[in-house]
Amino acid sequence: MSKAEGNLLKAAPFDEPVHLAPRGNSSYNPLHTFELPKGGERQYAHQFADMYFLRLAQLKPVLEEQAEELWKDFELAGEKARRVDRVLDVRQGELCWVIGTVYMELSMKPNILDDLTKEHWIAAPPAREKYISSTGLDEMMLEDESGRLRITGETISRQSFVTGCIIAALGTEQADGSFNIIATQSADLPRQPQRWERDDSEQAVESGNVTSKRKTSGKVAIVSGLEITGTAEDDVSLDLLMEYLTCEAAGPPTQTATGKISRLILAGNSLSHSSPIPTREEYASRKIESTRKHYGYDASVYNATPAERLDQFLADVLPHLPITLLPGPSDPANVAIPQQALHPALFPLSRQYSSPPLQSNESREGLDSVTNPWEGDIEGWRVLGTGGQTVDDLLKYVEEGDALDVMDAMLRWRCIAPTAPDTLWCYPFQDDDPLLLHECPHIYFCGNQPKFGSRVIQGPADQKVLLLSIPKFSETKTVVLVDMETMKVETVRFEVVPPGT
Amino acid sequence: MTDDYKNYLAAAVLTDGKIVSYRLLSRALKVNVNTAKQMLYDFYSKQNAKKPKSVHATYLLTGTQQPESPSRTNGTHRQDGEDSFMQSSPFPSSMPEPMESELAEDPVPVTYVVLVREEELDKKRAEFMEITSIHIYSLEPGPIENMNMLAVCNQEITKSYSNDDPLERWKIYGGIQNPYIKRRTARYAPLLSKTASGEAPKDAAPKATARKILEASSKQKEKNSVPSRRGSVSEDTKPGKSMQQPSSSNTAAKKPTLKKEKSDIFSSFAKAKAKPKAAEESKDSTPAQTEDEMAGMSEDEADADDTPEVRFDAEKAAEARKAREAREAKLRQMMEDDEDEPMEDAPPVTEEDSQDAPLDKEASKPVEKETVTVQGGRRRGRRRVMKKKTVKDEDGYLVTKEEAVWESFSEEDPEPKRPKPAPKSSTAKGKKGTGTGKYGQGSIASFFKKA
Repeated sequence: MSKAEGNLLKAAPFDEPVHLAPRGNSSYNPLHTFELPKGGERQYAHQFADMYFLRLAQLKPVLEEQAEELWKDFELAGEKARRVDRVLDVRQGELCWVIGTVYMELSMKPNILDDLTKEHWIAAPPAREKYISSTGLDEMMLEDESGRLRITGETISRQSFVTGCIIAALGTEQADGSFNIIATQSADLPRQPQRWERDDSEQAVESGNVTSKRKTSGKVAIVSGLEITGTAEDDVSLDLLMEYLTCEAAGPPTQTATGKISRLILAGNSLSHSSPIPTREEYASRKIESTRKHYGYDASVYNATPAERLDQFLADVLPHLPITLLPGPSDPANVAIPQQALHPALFPLSRQYSSPPLQSNESREGLDSVTNPWEGDIEGWRVLGTGGQTVDDLLKYVEEGDALDVMDAMLRWRCIAPTAPDTLWCYPFQDDDPLLLHECPHIYFCGNQPKFGSRVIQGPADQKVLLLSIPKFSETKTVVLVDMETMKVETVRFEVVPPGT
Repeated sequence: MTDDYKNYLAAAVLTDGKIVSYRLLSRALKVNVNTAKQMLYDFYSKQNAKKPKSVHATYLLTGTQQPESPSRTNGTHRQDGEDSFMQSSPFPSSMPEPMESELAEDPVPVTYVVLVREEELDKKRAEFMEITSIHIYSLEPGPIENMNMLAVCNQEITKSYSNDDPLERWKIYGGIQNPYIKRRTARYAPLLSKTASGEAPKDAAPKATARKILEASSKQKEKNSVPSRRGSVSEDTKPGKSMQQPSSSNTAAKKPTLKKEKSDIFSSFAKAKAKPKAAEESKDSTPAQTEDEMAGMSEDEADADDTPEVRFDAEKAAEARKAREAREAKLRQMMEDDEDEPMEDAPPVTEEDSQDAPLDKEASKPVEKETVTVQGGRRRGRRRVMKKKTVKDEDGYLVTKEEAVWESFSEEDPEPKRPKPAPKSSTAKGKKGTGTGKYGQGSIASFFKKA
């Protein structure tokens, strides 16, 4: 039933311990796309309008080109489609196409005024799963700097759009002033870099020649949502995960297989309930609990156990495996995307494996605490990952579809957080919006999803992107492994059988 | 020696009634984890042969399970173009693919790692299609009711057996070695002091702790000379990220640390001559200590100047190269398109490309034509900035355009950290020599000002 070498149910004499072949190097070259300026240069006073302006300005040329190609010969009832520069230039009854930003007027979308009314209610309404309502009162608009068009048409009901995405729309203006669309076009996937492109160019600049010989790449393990609470419940599965990753658990065949893993990515929510801004409910319950006034440091306000447990976990794994750590919505980082790297002060033990912050803002070996979203090159492939907020927020706009669908859509819109800053907290970017996709990743993962999923999508220029939705470890106990040579995906599931089942 | 494990297990499991996992056993006896797993089994089978049900075990199984749904049947044969939801449907996989086809992945192979008590073992075993490995995870005196109890073993390991160097553990205990991982030598190692205090009895003199730290740091030093660690950048400089040092261990550990600090200063000197800061600070009454503490506190402002210069240059060079290519392409295209275009616009536009960061951050790059003069702590000059301009067009609409304009500026020198040269250190770089009078004193304040 079981392989002989994997069976360690053997009595004395014991086998001579065999050391596994050492782990391969993880070729790792992070980008710092989402790092915000430090200190006083980080300005929150700016208006968000600039982000929409930038988005439209940057994506308009691309869309123009694509729409031109697609619709230049488009004829409907003998009428040729004409390009219109601004949405206000659309004339009634004329077949034309125009480029603009989508705005969704959704009846259930959070409103700042709702927060005010909440204060006066005894019981707040439950948190919304979706912004869309079933009554069909939702409206879609297309806007640019000149004005707005109300959009109607069958394509809306079939396709899903969200606030903030830039599209080109082909249609005619109706008598009632609405724009009836026949077809839409998104910017689609941008250029995809070649594998090793960045590493090669860096190497060429440094040493003048490019080594074409590279070792076979290993696997990358992606885990999200450890959601360490510091209680005993999550300890055993966390221990199993640690022992699995360090190749201590299981027998030699499994250990050899695990030894192929060359990097661990923690995709957000490593701690649970550690966001610096408590939810309304948490805040209320906390207030009730601590009616007694404390002076000085109040230990009940901050519980260090989860952070210590995470630090211990990282410190146990790090001698064997380099880690990239992304913050998530429940982690003690800033709440607006892009979330900045978790502060090393949280990790007194494991930060010894990262470069000193004054020396370098990245650690290619050891612990690299990075931003969310994050992008970088692993084994030559461009990898883009988020902690999941962007996808979760997008899913509230659409009726059906899972994480992979909206991730696909995001890449095609070339914006990895279209709903920011509308319904997603976001830093007010001024001069450049890093949330726009300039280069197409090879792997795009998104953490903290209810279930695992993987899909390969293709772009117009033969780009291939592996989409991964990483389930929460706390709920599914699942680790996702990606073979960086073949792009094959597999999962490892941990299970602790409860007694008496 | 060979019977050590029997004695240990008999004492721990039978007498003390403790749970012993394979990891704990391997730590306690300093044996390989795989040997420890076999020891557990050996003890378990022999003990239960003597007296049935005297020892209870939990098992760890690894392998693939029977697929839960039919869609998981052929997990090994995966092909692009097959849709996971279409397994049973008659669609041929060689369906012509439209442009935007989404290639859904086939069912993904799942490896199961299952921790199970001996009571449920057989049932669980039957669910497996193939078991790649099986071993005893832990032994305990009786059936455990709550699997969370098993966590105490690893807690004990953390508490009692984590004094050794984590990078060397694989030699004794197994687990996989990763030769690429580096660990900084932290002067303030919370692990050491914490475990030392946890281990030592309460009445133990602080000397004991100090000795441990001493030992540890000397051990660390030995390790520095081990070639496999590749003494490189991360080794030497600024090991202390600590906010504060516990005063007890501070005094005790002074001797070894002082020695270290010396080498730190030297190395940082040797590496970055451009920073007169280090030299200056060493003349202060609290040598290097302050700097180190600063290093710890200023995590947030590790700016670009602090990154190793080589890589910084490489990045810049790559960027510049890309920009140059883009410029050439643009120029060529412009030549072809229309010749009426005034040519003087071209170069500044591409310069804009060559720098992602807003220009006012670092205004003095040799490549640019911008003029910056530094005078008495103020910088004056001209630079290009992108301005938003709203104009009314012929139709009467407001049109917002982004335009590059030149503007002159004058601002305080944004680098108060560097331009404080030590009186002795040569002010080779003229730019830095300017702030002399201004920043002589109150260095702490000016330090924080920079943030």
